[in-house]
Order: sequence, then structure tokens, then C-alpha cells
Amino acid sequence: MQFRLEKRLEPSRLMLYATPIAAVLLTMVIGAVIFSLIGYDGIGAVREIFFTPLTNAFKWQDLGVKAAPLIIIGVGLSIAYRANVWNIGAEGQYVMGGLAATWVALSTYGMSGWWILPLMMLAGVIGGAAYAAIPALLKTRLGVNEILTSLMLTYASVQLVYYLVRAPWKDPMGMGFPQTRIFSEAARLPTIIPGTIVHMGVPIAVAVALIAWFVMSRSVFGYQMKVVGAAPHAARYGGFSENKTIWLAMLVSGGLAGMAGMLEVAGPFQRMVPGFPTNYGFTAIIVAFLGRLNPLGVIFAGIVMAITFVGGEVAQTSIGLSSSATGVFQAMMLFFLLAGDILVRYRIKRVAPAAEARA
Amino acid sequence: MPYRLELTGITKRFPGVLANDNVSFAVKPGEIHALLGENGAGKSTLVKMIYGIMQPDAGEIAWDGQVVNVTNPKAARKLGIGMVFQHFSLFEALSVLENIALGMDAKIPARELEARIREVMNTYGLLLDPHRTVATLSVGERQRIEIVRALLLDPKLLIMDEPTSVLTPQEVEQLFDVLRKLAAQGCSILYISHKLHEIKALCDTATILRGGKLVDTCDPRQETSRSMAEKMIGAGLKDIVRQPGRSMGKPKLVVSRLSTRKTGHFDVPVDDVSFTVRAGEIFGIAGVAGNGQNALLDALSGEIIGDDKDAVTIDGYPLGLLGTTGRRKHGLCAVPEERNGHAAIGDFSLSDNSVLTARDRLGMVMLGLINSGAAKTYTGKVIADFAVKALGPGSTAGSLSGGNLQKYIMGREILQKPSVLVVSQPTWGVDAGAAAAIHQALVDLAAAGSAIVVISQDLDELLALCDMLAVINLGHLSPARPVDGVSVEEIGLLMGGVHGTMEGADAVPA
Repeated sequence: MQFRLEKRLEPSRLMLYATPIAAVLLTMVIGAVIFSLIGYDGIGAVREIFFTPLTNAFKWQDLGVKAAPLIIIGVGLSIAYRANVWNIGAEGQYVMGGLAATWVALSTYGMSGWWILPLMMLAGVIGGAAYAAIPALLKTRLGVNEILTSLMLTYASVQLVYYLVRAPWKDPMGMGFPQTRIFSEAARLPTIIPGTIVHMGVPIAVAVALIAWFVMSRSVFGYQMKVVGAAPHAARYGGFSENKTIWLAMLVSGGLAGMAGMLEVAGPFQRMVPGFPTNYGFTAIIVAFLGRLNPLGVIFAGIVMAITFVGGEVAQTSIGLSSSATGVFQAMMLFFLLAGDILVRYRIKRVAPAAEARA
Repeated sequence: MPYRLELTGITKRFPGVLANDNVSFAVKPGEIHALLGENGAGKSTLVKMIYGIMQPDAGEIAWDGQVVNVTNPKAARKLGIGMVFQHFSLFEALSVLENIALGMDAKIPARELEARIREVMNTYGLLLDPHRTVATLSVGERQRIEIVRALLLDPKLLIMDEPTSVLTPQEVEQLFDVLRKLAAQGCSILYISHKLHEIKALCDTATILRGGKLVDTCDPRQETSRSMAEKMIGAGLKDIVRQPGRSMGKPKLVVSRLSTRKTGHFDVPVDDVSFTVRAGEIFGIAGVAGNGQNALLDALSGEIIGDDKDAVTIDGYPLGLLGTTGRRKHGLCAVPEERNGHAAIGDFSLSDNSVLTARDRLGMVMLGLINSGAAKTYTGKVIADFAVKALGPGSTAGSLSGGNLQKYIMGREILQKPSVLVVSQPTWGVDAGAAAAIHQALVDLAAAGSAIVVISQDLDELLALCDMLAVINLGHLSPARPVDGVSVEEIGLLMGGVHGTMEGADAVPA
């Protein structure tokens, strides 16, 4: 017995939207089975990871704060991926955005004024975009695969953080800890709901997604991204330059990752620390796909991912699950989503083994 | 004497279509039998069942009087059925001999195989050097490899699927000689085509299919091309209506010393091409596939931008350094040969496809935003004016049949009223009804004062449509001459170009 994948004439619209949901449900079921088999309380793990963050109102603020950077980076990646530009290095661009914002914060240390935060934001966006410009330049000039360069640059950016917080930017009063000093008041993001940790980044994330949705569905820019991704030859015929599109996709996704970096360093961290690279940039890849590369979908996908982060922490304390369990669940989600996508676009056909020639 | 091949009540159903509906016909030994029909009439499906690629849902196939079950192509070859496909399966980097050896079911020592290949080549006058690399061969020569490959198996029935679509008129004659020789020795030939004059010249019997059903089996020598065409499309044929006594205007499109660089390994660039098209004129460019037509279209449309601003001018205005958008703004629209993924995007709606080329000329963009209402209105007009069979502007381009998509694409460009329109293969794979509509639209656009360039491999189309004709061969364009005084032989020789002479010098019969 052999099986073969056969392309469907027209993939069902309904299934296109149903697969992300099915992927999440399957993740819960298979996750429960796997963790039960290796001797944990599997059902409890799923309950703690997927439902506790939703039922416990005290966890909602964590959800918002975790989802914000995932959404912002995920929106940028969804735009780039639409154009078949595979920026895998959002983590590095996020780190560089954070560092650029930190540089502004440290340079204006002790000063006050409303302009400091916008300036940090600008620095963050430019930092992220500039870092994404390196793979864009290599790709357009030399044809170097952007997946490799953007990914490898991520590790370089992490080393840069280690260097900066250990030497030039080290807090002089920090008793030798490798970290910068706490930013001054004017360089810290205000919380918007008193008594919680919800900062300005949360509404900004929603606004970014809405603006991106509008731009992608209505503007020539969005059209260009989609045409280049769907049919590069037709894009050239329609007058869209492929290199220009690569540049735009890289700068936009890098810039948004940098913006997320700024919001993180000025919000939850309030200083640069070696633990600043938190893999948001990598998780956002899952977010972009789970959200069907649609900025509105990315909002929901970002929240789902935030749930697994927050729930993972809950499960660590309540049932002693390792922190890696979160990663296992997230990876399963992406795996089931991609597998589901194959089945939406193709059908499995059973092929009888070739019979011997009969005449 | 039993029939070599007899089909009875063959039916094949695909989801949504009845590809073959109760088809019955028979082929005698030594007969050249034409299978005639438009695109989508069910010819290919029928042949695939004879060759064992598919199985019929109902009906039976008899071979020399015995009912057989052809389970796969290997079984078909064992029976003595050979097939030459429209698209060749050859490895460009290997030699003729290596390619043939790879396709054999049985393992034969190379020396023995070469001897047999030379024997077959000599018997049928198929001149070819077995040691040449396929990449250096012309399309006609490549087809000979496929024919030799089929003949090595001593077939009793040879199926030829649209064999002449890539050949020059002279190569067609050579092919016909081979086929006649084969038939004289008792091999039956099933010849699939929609070119009526070829069928009249070659075949003994013609079976006509329309919409999966058998319409008629007739003797093509007793029929006129027109009567067979009408059976094929099931309606009266429309002629192109031309306004009598029209006069050409001033030179509109002037191309001078246009050249492109070679990009891919097997890509043919254009070299020093010059021609002039006047307002109201249809300028035809003939040529065998793969002689630089694609590069020429890209260089005219602006997908390839050269370094000489005067290489392409409209009314004296230099366009040579502009891209597609700039050239469109100055009135030059183009339609490339490949519909899917080049002229249109299958996953996008027709409305979004209109944005691809009409956004600037028709003001569909304001402040960087797309006016989707304007795109929808325009698409609706294209659908109505060109009788495109589609549910509406929201249908995806991929859901349209080839002919309807081509009508939409041509309509999208023509309704922009370009002052110069360059089209490649405007009716490739399009049924006769749609082709007539597209031809009429081109003639009307020219009558309104536009200059039109038609690049095509279909000589009949060019002779019917054009005022001037030139031939492209290996990237060079011959001088243009008026279509009225030109002979098919002359054009054929130009199409063969350098290939013809190289062939004579290199081919080494044993």
C-alpha cells in the first residue's frame, strides 16, 4: 500500500480558518497524553497551561503584557512572510531595538521630558530595522539566503548585550551585577491601569495590528507584498521590483521587532539585563503562522501564545512541570498547524501498488 | 481482418466533468487516424486510457480483436502501443543515446542499442547524431528522439499528441514522410491535433470529439477545413471582420537595436532587433518556440530594462530606460505568453488581478490606497465586454478555464486603450470561439489607431491577423515584409534559420 499527496482543486475556506483552532485542540489532547505517559499529571498540565490563565482574573494582566511584544513582532513577520521574505532573526532585531532604546535612556539619564520615550521608540525602530538591513543587503546584492543570515545575526546580538551590560553600560552602583542602571522615570513606560503591570505597549500592540491590517488589505504596499509572495513573475510584470520588496519587508519586520524591544526594555525590564533576549522573536514566528499571516489573526494567536507562557509558569509551581514544557506545547502547536495546512491543500490518496503488466 | 484497436462505449468521469461519454471508434492496421477536437474535448483523456495511464470507468478496449485491460504504460508498450507526447521528457545534459537508453524497459548493451537506433534512423530517414547532447538540439530534433524511442519497440500503434505545434513547416513535412512510411508498413497511427489542413494532408480517417462525446467519424479528404472546424466547435465559424481600405498612420512603436543579456543557461536573448510598427498596424513575429520570444516580450514590456533609452520609443518618446509601470503610463501594454503566475495570479480575484496592470492608467490608486470599487467596476466591464465566463469580479483567476482567463487578460489590457499593445501567444490553448473573439478585439483595437505586435508560433494565426510579418530565430529578427505576398515556405525557411543548416552538417547517418 502506498500513499500519495494530491493537490486539491480549491482548498476549503472554512478549513483555512478552522485548522489553527484544530491545531490548538490537538495540542491539548496529545499534550495531555504525552505528559501522562512520562509520569506527569497530563490533564492537569493542560488545564494549568491553557485554562488557568483565562479563569484566574489575576493572570489577565500577565497575558496582556506577554501578548503585546508577540503581537507586534508577529505582525511584522506576517507582512514579511506574505512576501516570501523569511526573516527568522526577529529575536536579534528585537534585541537591537532594545539596545538602541537603552542607549537613549542611558544618554538622557537624569533628564526629564515627554520627548524621551518617543525618542527611545524611534531609536528602537531604527535599531531593529538597521539590523534587519544587513540580511536585506546581503540578499539583494549577493543573493545570500536571508534565513541563515538573519538567524545567525541573532546570536551576535545576544553577545553584544552580554558585552554592553558587563562593561561600558554596567551600573556603577550595581555591586558588580551585569546590568545597566534602572532607567530614570521619564524613560520608563507608564502603566495604563493603576495597580497592574499593564503598560502602554498593550494598546500600542493592538493599534499596530489594526493599522497593519488596514495597510495590508487596502494599500498598494500590501498588494505589492502579496503579489511578490504569490507570484514573483507576475509582480515583475505588474511593475513591482523584487529587491525593493525584500528591503521593505525586512525593514518593516525588523522595525516592528525593534519597537517591541523598546517597549519591553522600557516597560517590564526598565533596564538592560543579560536575560533580555527572551525568545519573543522566535515565538512570534509561530504567532505569525498561527494567525494565518493576517494581522487580525495575529492578535488572537499572540494571546494564545501568551496563555501558554503564563500557563507554563503556573504549571511550574503548581504541578512541578519543567519550564521546557511550555516550549514543547508551543512547538506541538506549530507542528499540528503546518501538518493541518498540508491536509487542507492536499488530500491523501491511496495508490494501489503497480500491478504487473497483464495483456 | 480485425481492427488494430477498437474502443467501445468508453466513459471516463472526473469530479464535475464527464471527460469521455460513451466514445466508440476503431483504427485499422496501417491507418492514419486523426483524433480531432478543441482543448478540453477529451482527446488527451481518451489517449491516456489507451496508453494505460488512466483506466476507463466503463467500456472496453479491444486490441487485434481481443478485449484487453491496459493497466499501465508498460503493459501498453508490451502490447505494441507507442506514444510521443507533446511535452518531451528528455535530460538536456545527456546525449541522445543516453536519453533513449534511460527510457527503455529492457536493459540493452549500449553498442547494440546504438546499432538499433541507427538502423531505425536509416529506415525512416530520421537524421540525428546519437552522441549529441540534447541541449544543443532544436525542438524538431528533440521530437525525433522521442519518435525513435517509440519506434525501437516496433509499435503496431503509434500515438502522436499534437506533434507539430513546435515544428517549422519544413519539419512538419519531414515528420509526415516518416509517418506515411510507418503506415505503409502496417503500423497504425493515432494522430491528435486541431490543425485541420494537416489532418487533410495526412490522415485517412478523422474522429471528431466535442465536449467528451463523439460527434462524427469522417474522411478528412472529403471534408473542407471549414466543415470539420464547425463540427469541432459545434457552431458556425466567425470570420475576422476588417474594415476595408484602412490606411496606416505614422510610425508609432519604433524599436531600434534592442538587445538583452543572456541570463539562464538555456535562455535565448534577443540580439540587435529593430522594427517599426505604424498606428493601425498589426505586426506579427513568427518563430519556433524558444528562439528569444520571451526575452523580446520582456524587453518590450519593460520587465527587462536595457541601457539605451532610444531602443524602444513611442511617437518618438524614449521608453528604453523605463520599467513596466512607466511604459504603461506612456501607453505601452503587454501580455506575456504564460497566463498563470505571469499575466495573472491564480489565487487572487479577477478584481485584484485588474489592479496588477490597470491601477495607474485607470486611476485605481489614491494616496497609496487601492480603490477597490474602481477595480471591481472595471473588472465587471471586462467580463461583460469580452464575454468572460466567470461568476463575477470576485472569482479567483485560477477558477477560470484557460480560454476564459485569456479573454479576461486580453480584455484587461485592451480596454485600457493602449496606444501600443504587445502580445505573446494570444490564443495559446484557447478554444476556437474564444480565439475568434480575441482576434476580432485585436483587429478592432488596431482599427482605432493602436499599433499592435503579435508574437506567435501559430503561423495560421499570424497570416490571418497581421499586416506585416517578421521571423525571430535564435534572437535575431528577419526584415519585415507585408503579409500579402509572403509564402509559407519562405517563412518556414526563416523559422528554421540556422538550425536547418547545422542539422545537415552534423547529422551522421550510420
